[in-house]
Amino acid sequence: MLQAFSLYWRLIGVQLRSQLQYRLAFFLDVLGTSLATILTFATLAFVFQRFGNIAGWSLVEVAFLYGMVEAAFGVMDLVFSGFDPQNFGKQVRLGRLDQLLLRPVDITVQIFGSEFIVRRLGRIIQGLLILAVAIGMVDIRWTMGKLLFMPVIFLSLVCFFGGLFMVGATITFWTYDSIEAVNIFTYGGSEMMSYPMNIYQGWLRRFFTYVIPAIFLLYYPALFILDKPDPLQMPGFAPFLSPVVGFGVLLIAFVFWNFGLGHYQSTGT
Amino acid sequence: MEEIILVENLQKYFRVAKHHRGFWGAFRNLFSRDYRTVRAVDDITFRIQQGELTGYLGPNGAGKSTTIKMLAGLLVPTAGHLIVNGSIPWKDRKTYVAHIGAVFGQRTTLWWDLPVIESLDLLRFVYRIPKDRFQNNLSEFKQLLDLGPFLDTPVRSLSLGQRMRADLCAALLHDPTLLFLDEPTIGLDVVAKENIRQFIQHINRQRGTTVILTTHDMSDVEKLCERVLIIDHGKLLFDGSLEQIRKRFGGKRHLMVDFAEDYPEISVEGARVTERNGQRVVFEFERDTLTASVLIGRLTEKYRIQDLEVREPEIEATIRRIYEEKLLES
Repeated sequence: MLQAFSLYWRLIGVQLRSQLQYRLAFFLDVLGTSLATILTFATLAFVFQRFGNIAGWSLVEVAFLYGMVEAAFGVMDLVFSGFDPQNFGKQVRLGRLDQLLLRPVDITVQIFGSEFIVRRLGRIIQGLLILAVAIGMVDIRWTMGKLLFMPVIFLSLVCFFGGLFMVGATITFWTYDSIEAVNIFTYGGSEMMSYPMNIYQGWLRRFFTYVIPAIFLLYYPALFILDKPDPLQMPGFAPFLSPVVGFGVLLIAFVFWNFGLGHYQSTGT
Repeated sequence: MEEIILVENLQKYFRVAKHHRGFWGAFRNLFSRDYRTVRAVDDITFRIQQGELTGYLGPNGAGKSTTIKMLAGLLVPTAGHLIVNGSIPWKDRKTYVAHIGAVFGQRTTLWWDLPVIESLDLLRFVYRIPKDRFQNNLSEFKQLLDLGPFLDTPVRSLSLGQRMRADLCAALLHDPTLLFLDEPTIGLDVVAKENIRQFIQHINRQRGTTVILTTHDMSDVEKLCERVLIIDHGKLLFDGSLEQIRKRFGGKRHLMVDFAEDYPEISVEGARVTERNGQRVVFEFERDTLTASVLIGRLTEKYRIQDLEVREPEIEATIRRIYEEKLLES
């Protein structure tokens, strides 16, 4: 275990040192992400200017959701960079995974350490800024419970997105063509969660409640933090399901990942 | 001598989805999946002793890399026995790979943006190599492979030959008992190839490292391999020495003669004219039925000869013949 952590930090160290060699690319990327975030958010602001609110949510309340998703997705995208299905699938086909399997250390740790895209810090910082502004402008009645629950919500989101990345990476052992379908869930899912879930059509909402229970990750916790009534009449413990869903998805993803590795060893690609 | 590799009735089958062509075909691919079975490795048996340097040859798609992948623990066999270094490679991967080394010619195991020396140092940690052994090995390889000039250069800026030398060093720092080399000289110039060959030979002789080598370069085989395994269509066609190949399949030899005069008609018993260019004539004759000296004797009886040269068949041509004419299949 200690060896695994030590290996992880060394591998991350390599990534940091490598990427510091490309400083210009780093700053350009941060600039690019900033512009994209500002544009997206400006569009949102215009919509609100026209309509005042969306389904009972004000602009700053939606900014709370948006900031959480951006920052959590950013953190995930940083930590789980090695599992990004697009890149992972390509690496597998280039034989990179075989190279890693030839080393006498844990393969999952090596994948975690194989990529650590520092540029993602840009997205994280912007997400946190938006979140901070939102928290400052919404009148939240803070309690000890809410304060302690905030990091739990955040981590659960990170785990959920990370789980999706791992599942996506694992699927590339079987097929590389359907990677776009997986991206719909990851990127589409994060996009969906940036808005209050009650605006969506019934079937779509039910899908994200019972099939992929993303609704419990942010929408319900946000209702709790912001003291908003639940228009969907879920049981009162609904906001507190977020860690169950988040860690649960990641756990399932780990099991599936190990299964996929076994399959890879028996078939190759 | 101890056995280091034991392969018995090894098989590896792949199921490959059949692709239907065209627009409707793409549609059908979504729903119906017809499979056909590809026998990449089909019932192979061989043993390799410790310290042997073996060439594993075959045309593209013959099953070479599938075998190597199974030997290296990357693939699980469909059937058959496989024992390397006293263990079953794919079981308990981490313990097994600690004692083997591998270089896959086209790819590097080093970190692309790191200076070579830092990559090597990271491998020291990965393989838990004791510091003094690491230092000893490094200084030996540094000298043998002339790594000094580019130890501090990032891997991405190395030439192909430098990268290959760095990769060889990386594969051997942990003193593996067994070394897999897949096309170690591919894309290199003649001098670089020669250096790599000398190094491989040195490692094999001085350290007793068992080496399995796949290559398309027959000079690699000629200069390095005491023993050759030839595989095609997943089956082992030949297992023996290069000399045996020459004797069995290098049947036809050539005699090139420069005659002193312009003879309009040249013929000799037991040999066939294959090329004629003025006074220079090339004869082809069978090793088994005629010796070179008898042939030369018959020629000097009839003609005045200025110069001559006996040409042995090149091993490359011989092995190509083995693949193409399927000489070994029966």
